[in-house]
Amino acid sequence: MPLRNTPARYGSVAQTLHWVIVGLLIVQFTLGKIAEDLPNGFDKLVILARHKSFGITILALALLRLAWRLFDRPPPIPPMPGWQATAARISHFSLYTLLFAMPLTGWTMSSASNYPVSWFGLVQLPDLVAPDPALKEALQEVHETLSNILLALASLHVAAALKHQFLDRDGLMFRMLPWRLR
Amino acid sequence: MAPTLTLRACVVLLAWLASAAATAEVWQADQKSGALRFVATQAGARFSGHFGDFQVRLDFDPKEPANARLDVTIATRSANTADTDRDEVLRSQDFFWVARFPQAVYHAVGLKREGKAWVTSGTLTLRGVTQPIAVRFELKPRQGSFTMQGGATLRRLEFGVGQGDWASTTWIGDPVDVAFELKLARDSAAVSP
Repeated sequence: MPLRNTPARYGSVAQTLHWVIVGLLIVQFTLGKIAEDLPNGFDKLVILARHKSFGITILALALLRLAWRLFDRPPPIPPMPGWQATAARISHFSLYTLLFAMPLTGWTMSSASNYPVSWFGLVQLPDLVAPDPALKEALQEVHETLSNILLALASLHVAAALKHQFLDRDGLMFRMLPWRLR
Repeated sequence: MAPTLTLRACVVLLAWLASAAATAEVWQADQKSGALRFVATQAGARFSGHFGDFQVRLDFDPKEPANARLDVTIATRSANTADTDRDEVLRSQDFFWVARFPQAVYHAVGLKREGKAWVTSGTLTLRGVTQPIAVRFELKPRQGSFTMQGGATLRRLEFGVGQGDWASTTWIGDPVDVAFELKLARDSAAVSP
């Protein structure tokens, strides 16, 4: 598989970034849900520290992915009704936006609660805002709401890909897979 | 007029110098006259907090630094890290155990000169454990008083601060830096020996 995109499918760089981010997002949802239910204590500190490190990783990968996308334009979408193409564009744009908004709201929330973020204990990141408990409360709501929107959009994204693959049988899903199933 | 005023000022100044030379003066400070901060490491990131209730008393004659006394009392309950959840953990039995040990006390006799700074070799009693801790600070004259600025580094585990899982230095660093910047006021009530 070539590094760069071809008219038929995404190249290995775009595919790797896509699937690594998918994996990390699943980890993030899981850690976020676990932390939400934990009492204030040691386990929560550890889980949230991991959550933050993975979140910063996603932010860095999202930056790389956006830069790569601008450098290496995605393959054209297969023929489909106009509304579907429009819906795909809007949801892709929203998914990209959330890839940035989730870590940035999380990072800001962490700064606002005076828990500076360290990336896996190796690098301490600068604080984005001064400690502010009220801001932290507000951002916590925003972060959680955005995570629900992300989950809904990602589900829609998967449902649409499956519809193209198995109902329309237009081979759309192969564009983001390293092998051909037929 | 002017010479008389100058003369009077000289007399007052000489009298003050004479009294200062003769006896130690007692200086004090608390949370209203400055800040007492700490910086600790959590999950690899350094964060700071402060104590909202403390008293500092410095009994000090520059001519006899060996007889100087520094006493600091800190209400452990007043630890404030701008996060109520974390402050609650700090007050718990695993950390400061404020229900049993409401105060941390630093006591030192004698100051040593090291460059521009003064250094004490006193003891800190925290969570029921007493350990030697050196505090280094500078005294800078300011408006008839002094600013006292300095700090110390301690190892929290030597005092048992952070029990059970919290003893893990992977997640909570052992060294904690303490820093203060205080404007000392003359303690008029105190009678110096």
